[in-house]
Amino acid sequence: MSALHAVWRRNISETLAGALPIVLALGIWYVISAWNFAPASLLPSPVTVFRRFLVLLGDPQFLQNAGATLYRLFVGFGIAVMLGIGIGILAAGNRTVAALMQPVIRVLAPVPKIALYPALVLMFGFDHSSKIALVVADALFPILLATYQGAVAVDPKLVWSARAAGASQTRCLFTIVLTAALPSILTGARIGLIIACIVVFLAEMILSTDGLGQLLVRAARNFQTVDMFVPIIAISMLGLLLNAAFNMLSKRLLVGFPSQN
Amino acid sequence: MATDMIKIAGVSKVYDTTQRGRHVALGDISIDIAEGQFVSILGPSGCGKSTLLYILGGFVEATTGQVLVNGQKVTGPGPDRGPVFQEFALFPWKTVLGNVMYGPLQQGLSKEAATARARELLVLVHLQNYEGFYPKELSGGMKQRVALARTLAYGPKILLMDEPFGALDAYTRTRLQNELLDIWGRDRKTVMFVTHSVEEAVFLSDRVFVMTKSPGHIRKVFDIDLPRPRVRAELLLDRRYQDYVIAIERLMDEQIEEIA
Ligand SMILES: Nc1ncnc2c1ncn2[C@@H]1O[C@H](COP(=O)(O)OP(=O)(O)OP(=O)(O)O)[C@@H](O)[C@H]1O
Ligand SMILES: [Mg+2]
Repeated sequence: MSALHAVWRRNISETLAGALPIVLALGIWYVISAWNFAPASLLPSPVTVFRRFLVLLGDPQFLQNAGATLYRLFVGFGIAVMLGIGIGILAAGNRTVAALMQPVIRVLAPVPKIALYPALVLMFGFDHSSKIALVVADALFPILLATYQGAVAVDPKLVWSARAAGASQTRCLFTIVLTAALPSILTGARIGLIIACIVVFLAEMILSTDGLGQLLVRAARNFQTVDMFVPIIAISMLGLLLNAAFNMLSKRLLVGFPSQN
Repeated sequence: MATDMIKIAGVSKVYDTTQRGRHVALGDISIDIAEGQFVSILGPSGCGKSTLLYILGGFVEATTGQVLVNGQKVTGPGPDRGPVFQEFALFPWKTVLGNVMYGPLQQGLSKEAATARARELLVLVHLQNYEGFYPKELSGGMKQRVALARTLAYGPKILLMDEPFGALDAYTRTRLQNELLDIWGRDRKTVMFVTHSVEEAVFLSDRVFVMTKSPGHIRKVFDIDLPRPRVRAELLLDRRYQDYVIAIERLMDEQIEEIA
């Protein structure tokens, strides 16, 4: 009973400790704007920004833009996850695939993908596809590398145990190796998701007709500082929500693995 | 006269390491093991005992020679040979029941049949009350019981055990030795058992192979002529048991002196 209590208490205090820096940052922002260190026309108060954010949540045009960003984010991230895990696992299980992939990865991984964005726009047009392609290009590598590293580090005795029980090599790869590598894969996916959030916003800021990033740029051009901060709040809220969802998913997927409780 | 279940003919293993070049892990081994025999392998650390077991399991390829099981050449892993590792190697994401069901499911049993089979084995290793536990929630002895049950579940004719009780305390070790002999007494699997403990080897085995230092080959074979079922407390007082233990200990001491 009291042990359960202790776990509860720890969860609550951990959540509070996690919220503290955010509260602090908002507090500093509030103080700076309230004491007029910066003119309100340049740095609006967080209260004003949040109020505007709540109002815009009922505005169909804002929601449409947010929707466009979300769509690009999820489709791009989804494709990157599937490609990254697929290629990573195949490379871990097959020397030829690994030999083919390695030079490609070495050349492409360090390239700043955002530099490819103008080319992607020319190829895919202004619509979703060019942004999705960029998200895929950027989120793919951390997922692929984490999958590969995790998969080659799997204890061979796990695989041998499964092989002796009658599982084929291919089956082992996609059940035993893939599952055993999950902790590493999820770490890669988490990094990939953060990168995806950043890059979809960036792409919309650079060249786009819609999306949260585009809203920010448009507001800045028109000197609407409150509207300029709203997309930032929106994307950081989104990041917070996605992180929470990710944690929940990890807990479910990683039942039984040593680091989980 | 029982037929030879396992024929190991001139098996050796050379590893090509990147840093140190060719490394002979296992000398030249030739052993025949009859069906239903319990055989132990003793030898200094690094002499190639695990390597030999992995070759038998089909997990590692021999550099020379070949292994025949029931007259068939070993070319890869198969459900006729079940490994049990010192480090358990349980699937951490599966429950106790899930781990033990794995083999039967791979063998094509239905979910219900596999569950029933797994439950039978959990009773056999006294873990029927732990089927919902995850491996990390078990003690070392319990993990090793699950590993044994997981392997027994797909009905291998041969058990390949690599220091399965090496990581356990003396008490648990003794209990598991007795359980293993009980299980073995029921359906007389052929067992190849690697250990560092001379007493364990003599207590369990029909034959004990003592290997030389690395790269190991067989130095001497002891036929352990002790009645079964064996009871540890009685054996400890048995002169013949003592003689076997002392003779093997002496042989291994000589080797240590040779190394020093
Ligand atoms: N993958 C590998 N690559 C290179 N050398 C290896 C590899 N695996 C084992 N060896 C070498 O093979 C030799 C035999 O190793 P093995 O694990 O079979 O010994 P062992 O008799 O089981 O030792 P222990 O009693 O300590 O478990 C050792 O010298 C070891 O360094
Ligand atoms: Mg060993």
